Amino acid sequence: MAGSLVRPATPVRPHSAPEPSRPRGLRHRLVGTRRARIGLLNVSPIVLYLLVLFVFPIVGTLLLSLKNADGSLTLHWYAEALSGANLSVLFTTLRISAETSLLSLAVGFVLANALSRLRPIWAGLVMLIVVVPHFISALVRTYGWIILLGDHGLANQTLTGLKIPGAPFRMLYNETGVVIGTTAVMLPYTVLLLYGVMRGVDRRLLAAAASMGAGRVRIFVRIYLPLVASGLASAGLLSFILCLGYYITPALMGGTKQTMVASLINDQVMKQDQWNGAAAQGVVLLLITFAGLLLLKAARSIGAGARKRSAS
Amino acid sequence: MIGLRGTWTGRIALTTAATLTLLFLALPIIVIVVTSFGGDAFGSFPPSTWTLGWYRALFADGSKWPAALSLSVLVASITTVFSVVLGITAATALTRSELPLRSAVYALVLGPLLIPQVVTALGLFLLFEPASMLGSPLAIALGHTVLASPIAVMILVATLRGIDERLEDAAASMGAGRLTVARRITFPLAAPGIVAAAIFSFITSFDEFFISQFLSSATTVTLPVQVFNALSYDVDPSVTAVSAVLIAFAVLALVLVGLVRWIGTGRQHSLLSVENTAGLAPGGDAV
Repeated sequence: MAGSLVRPATPVRPHSAPEPSRPRGLRHRLVGTRRARIGLLNVSPIVLYLLVLFVFPIVGTLLLSLKNADGSLTLHWYAEALSGANLSVLFTTLRISAETSLLSLAVGFVLANALSRLRPIWAGLVMLIVVVPHFISALVRTYGWIILLGDHGLANQTLTGLKIPGAPFRMLYNETGVVIGTTAVMLPYTVLLLYGVMRGVDRRLLAAAASMGAGRVRIFVRIYLPLVASGLASAGLLSFILCLGYYITPALMGGTKQTMVASLINDQVMKQDQWNGAAAQGVVLLLITFAGLLLLKAARSIGAGARKRSAS
Repeated sequence: MIGLRGTWTGRIALTTAATLTLLFLALPIIVIVVTSFGGDAFGSFPPSTWTLGWYRALFADGSKWPAALSLSVLVASITTVFSVVLGITAATALTRSELPLRSAVYALVLGPLLIPQVVTALGLFLLFEPASMLGSPLAIALGHTVLASPIAVMILVATLRGIDERLEDAAASMGAGRLTVARRITFPLAAPGIVAAAIFSFITSFDEFFISQFLSSATTVTLPVQVFNALSYDVDPSVTAVSAVLIAFAVLALVLVGLVRWIGTGRQHSLLSVENTAGLAPGGDAV
């Protein structure tokens, strides 16, 4: 190392006998305060950055949503955001988010379960098919779905070829299309989360239940499901939250009946110059997200408790 | 279930379902790549004839794509610089110091990833509109950094946690100053993580749509906004070729990250093996 002789070495020498832990307490505390100061210095850029460009704008949005044209306080914009057509858009958003989260939970459960039975190396390779799409622009993937789900797209060709009754189906510019598209976007999150939880399940518990004569269904319902329940709740809530403010897929694959809050906010700002209303809808979305995050936290802590019990 | 032998029907059903799900994830991407070489402009799959025409059309006279591409590259480059600088300082603070309010810092940093992007975008719009900065590449990059820097922080925190702190302590014990340790030990070991953080920051900005949409003007349009417009308003068949290019770009970036990490894992091992041959008992310090 360069400069190793410039300063006298500190007590920890490679070949000296291990020292008693005597000086640690005081030195540790002194170093601690110095380290804390350097830590504060290092962390301040990102904290300042996010306070100015993330927190402050959101506070600005909040204030704008409470202001009248003349600057007086009002709840008028919230009354508007929560009534009539805007309210039904909010319900549509919640419904599509719930459908997406359930579908991605169901599909993700099957895939994560299959993956958790593979050897880790194979699971890692297959996981590439899950993870790589996640890093490809959602816009591009949505376009892929538009090509696939069209009236003469591959999906309908296949379904007609298989002589499925009712084919070809209309799967674009309606809710089916939107839910398929958003599910594809949320699925990587669900699969990764559930895979982690399922890998953590102690297989001996299942074998123990079987040795005591429990049937497959019983083992699944009584042992396996409770062990992965909190993971399911987390994954479902996460995809629900991420779906709430989602714009691209609903805007491109949905019809007029699938307008979601994000589209509404976009239209109000870009086309109608109605900033206050947009701000109020943004705040409503934010509050629902916070509620979801609180539930997510609760699910996590309940899950941690359950794992502790199963381990003991 | 796991730990038990599955029945054959169960296994076949599970494998089929899992394969279908994987197809579900991969198909939209495969379809775009194939269609982009197809002779018929939209829709029909598989194409009846093959052509490179859509790729040539990207760079034809009057095409809007080159301008959009260069703006996106510019914005993504600025974002990458901001995000990596913020990421390195923040990750150093979070892993190498006793930080008061650590969990509050984490909550702040994770915020942009969990809050609906439309809210972030709206807030930034309300911030930059009065400053008449709409359409400025700098404003878009400042906005993208809000989304990219948390990702950089996460990657770099994981990187710094993965570096054996005994190596830093050893250098310090031999008299290396704080900066020397950072320059000679920590930085070389963290380099793969820094490259990964830079690449992911770049992709995040390059693919970002909503903030760009809110902060762009009629003349400054980033690539994703142009793709969105092409899909919703003008019918421009070369959008398929652009999409295929974006796919290739993302895959390339991921391969690059993988490569850099693979090179990086060798380094720490070689340093630690030097330590072992020098007769140092590993794990002398509390782990």
